Amino acid sequence: MAIINQATKELQVKIVYYGPAMGGKTTNLVQVHDHVQTAAGNKGKLVSLATSSDRTLFFDFLPIEAMSIKGFKTKFQLYTVPGQVIYNTTRQLVLRGVDGIVFVGDSQYEKMAENVESFANLEENLKSLKLNLAEIPYVLQYNKRDLPNVAPVEYMEFLLNNREVQVPSFTSVAHKCEGVFEALNMITRMLLHKFVSQGTPQYA
Amino acid sequence: MGTLPQLIEEDVQCLEDALRDLLQRSDATTALIIDKGGFLIASQGDSRNFDLTTIAALASGAYMANQTIANLIHETNFNSVYQQGEKYSMFAVCVDEHCLLVVIFKAHVSVGVVKYFAAPAAEQVANQMLAAQDRDPGAGLDLSMINLADTSGLFRRRD
Repeated sequence: MAIINQATKELQVKIVYYGPAMGGKTTNLVQVHDHVQTAAGNKGKLVSLATSSDRTLFFDFLPIEAMSIKGFKTKFQLYTVPGQVIYNTTRQLVLRGVDGIVFVGDSQYEKMAENVESFANLEENLKSLKLNLAEIPYVLQYNKRDLPNVAPVEYMEFLLNNREVQVPSFTSVAHKCEGVFEALNMITRMLLHKFVSQGTPQYA
Repeated sequence: MGTLPQLIEEDVQCLEDALRDLLQRSDATTALIIDKGGFLIASQGDSRNFDLTTIAALASGAYMANQTIANLIHETNFNSVYQQGEKYSMFAVCVDEHCLLVVIFKAHVSVGVVKYFAAPAAEQVANQMLAAQDRDPGAGLDLSMINLADTSGLFRRRD
């Protein structure tokens, strides 16, 4: 849950990019880091704990400050999880204290089973932290739309966005930075609205 | 998962006092209070040479990874992490359910001294967190200062 420091009028929020292995989670963070427009000093370093083959081992981390929220200094911490199935314990660790989630699905037909498995795994891991996906703002990003063998968006919606409440979804080509900022802006807006409208105690 | 209370100026002041006192007594370089999700709550000491935001995220990850190892080997008392370096060392100790105290100190400073003074500092921090919780456990967030009309383009892509 977010940290609210009333003394310094500072709000810190944690957003986690979740999804199957090689789906483009780290690429999202790299693109945000490379292209975001910030006031000087408001963009932190992108830290990647990755293997030699660039697969995320623990997490990627990018601290960044939003430019346009008046009243509070709003700091966003963007994390990715390792997508490979064997690193589930690590995914649970990264999810601790999560405020919002961007689920990055791989649009290739042959990856649909992995998408569904990863989404189910997200729900399970949240449960293990006594969290409920229905209460956490999240958006879906259907990535790799530039590949030839992609599934129709309607099919991905049927597989991943077929719950009681449908959430915003975006198509993306993360390595070209298409759809990256759209998803990030939507999730930040959703969770800020949640904080303000809910008014329940989070923590400081 | 429970949540931390909202901190007001008095709380932050108390946390910073505890950290300052710890630094003075132990001759450590930097002390931080972080939450286990990776957020930086308060810090004292040298912050110019270190990226404290990133240190907070990584230290909480390292601590929580050790907790998971503890669970796997049925150990209940892995409540601290110590990393010895050539120039600097780091010691992280659990404060309460939500928070950690992280101390960065020069390698020549004795870890025993740091541990000795970190214990009362952690207790002081835990007590203040409890006091903040007791102050108004049901209080809602005061986010009235946030101007949501202003959030149309939180993150803009550079042209």
